[in-house]
Amino acid sequence: MKAVSLEYGKLSRIFFIIILIFALIYIFPVFWVLITSIRPDSDIHKFPPTIIPKALTLHNYIYVFTGMEGFSRYFLNSVVVTTFTVVIVLVAAAMGGYAFGMRKFKGNNLLFMLILSILTIPYIMYLIPIYIMEYKMRLTDTYLGLILPYVALNLPWGLLIMRGAFSTIPLDIRDAAVVDGCNEYRMVYQILLPIVKPAFVTTTIITFVFAWQEFMFASTINKQNYWQTLPVGIVWIRDELQTLAMGKVSAAIILSIVPVLVLFFAFRKFFIEGLSEGMLKG
Amino acid sequence: MGNPISSLEQLRKQQRTKKRLTENINLMVFLLPTFVFVVVFIAFPVVYSGFLSFTKFKFGIDSAPKFIFLKGYIERFTSDSLFMESLKNQLVFASLYFTITFTLSLILAILINELTFGVQTFQVIFYMPMIIPLSLVGITFAWLLSPINGFVNIIIRNLTHNVRFMFDWYQEPKTALIGIVIARSWKMVGFTLIIFVAGLKGIPKSLREAARVDGATFWQEIWKIIIPNLKPYMLISSIWILINSLKVFDLVRVITEGGPGVRTYMLYYYSWKLAFERMDLGQASQVAYITAGIILIFTVVLNQIFKPETAERG
Repeated sequence: MKAVSLEYGKLSRIFFIIILIFALIYIFPVFWVLITSIRPDSDIHKFPPTIIPKALTLHNYIYVFTGMEGFSRYFLNSVVVTTFTVVIVLVAAAMGGYAFGMRKFKGNNLLFMLILSILTIPYIMYLIPIYIMEYKMRLTDTYLGLILPYVALNLPWGLLIMRGAFSTIPLDIRDAAVVDGCNEYRMVYQILLPIVKPAFVTTTIITFVFAWQEFMFASTINKQNYWQTLPVGIVWIRDELQTLAMGKVSAAIILSIVPVLVLFFAFRKFFIEGLSEGMLKG
Repeated sequence: MGNPISSLEQLRKQQRTKKRLTENINLMVFLLPTFVFVVVFIAFPVVYSGFLSFTKFKFGIDSAPKFIFLKGYIERFTSDSLFMESLKNQLVFASLYFTITFTLSLILAILINELTFGVQTFQVIFYMPMIIPLSLVGITFAWLLSPINGFVNIIIRNLTHNVRFMFDWYQEPKTALIGIVIARSWKMVGFTLIIFVAGLKGIPKSLREAARVDGATFWQEIWKIIIPNLKPYMLISSIWILINSLKVFDLVRVITEGGPGVRTYMLYYYSWKLAFERMDLGQASQVAYITAGIILIFTVVLNQIFKPETAERG
């Protein structure tokens, strides 16, 4: 046994160094954006360019908050769209997940398979009809115009996760509650929902990650600054300022990902477990 | 007065029917949100773009879609060189992206699994790009690789002492596509890493200890124990990478706009261009449907490749 554990230690050290190198390369792009964001523009764009900053400044961050058109609005829009998308997906997926997971009805499996098959459809198939539909219903450049398709795209995932969670609950629990004269809605809300809490976390994370990053629908459906979300808004800022303002654009990038990074660090256990559970069910 | 027993039975029957009725109504209520969203935002778009793909329809020019059946599809494959270019680029992109993401995340997962400390920190570093929007990844990589002030070029300039080195990685035909692959993989590796790490955790320790006692080397352990046990997870991550390999629209739009020339045109981007710049909804829908068809074929093939092992595991 001693020889076995020795081998572990030696290899482990080599592995550690290899991963460390990978990790440093991996994190470098973010680090570089961070460095760029605290350099004055004159330092970033001088010639010949240098890697090590000559001076550091918070000017870019101040500019993002005070002088930059739109950034705070983009941020607000992203928060609103993401929050509502997550909440609606949770409610709809919990209801549907209960029906598919615990209620017997004709065509249950067939219907569910049909919904699962949605998962392999490329999003580009929806884009044109949804745009035409929203254009005619005057939903472009509104919050709903993004929230509704985002919900639809995430609902199949939510259903998959929720159905999985509900189907592990013994049917006796439900029957007992029904015999006690408990109304079905109350039974689901008060007795079953607490049991499937982990599934809520998973669904929240998957939906959040999607809605916070979505670009194609947002850039196609929204044309006005006022309604745009961060992933598109920052690109617009870059296009407007051109490349000579990388400091300001970098500050905007850092400001847009830091809050999410904080959430990610705070909930990383849920995040990683939730994601691996959610993905493995797919 | 009727028979008391039969009237009691009748009453019970009535109650049962009433109960069944409320249960059925409840079921409908529970399924309603799903039904509405799926029908309006999934089923209708799929059917409608299917319909459009059989027509010739330029928005704003043609007053109504003109039915041409399969003619549009045939045109795409026979006389649409930009479509063929997009298809080719997409396939090249997908295979490079698949190879890099799959191998890198598998190697990293195996290594991380052997670590005794620092596991969490490394995981967080590799998972981090998952929460950075792809469009911002695009800006970041375009900045890193930009010709004059980009980090990569500055390093090369300093190493080679060639002050004039100003290679524009994303505007050179030879490097543009691979540059997009690297940016896309950077974001995706964390995703598949999670799957592999979960799979590795599921391999019983006793299996490996037994092998080690029998004198197996680390390489033998990898090939004889780890890889076979990971097969179902390989299937899942393969399908994930594959479906994701279509989603490079953000990068193309932010970094290259399809250029240099048409070197980074890919299926989503081409379909989007057709629909929202040329307003040709018929052609755009044909490209979208062909994309879906390709994905379907690949998913079925992948399922076949990994099938025996997955069936074994139930």
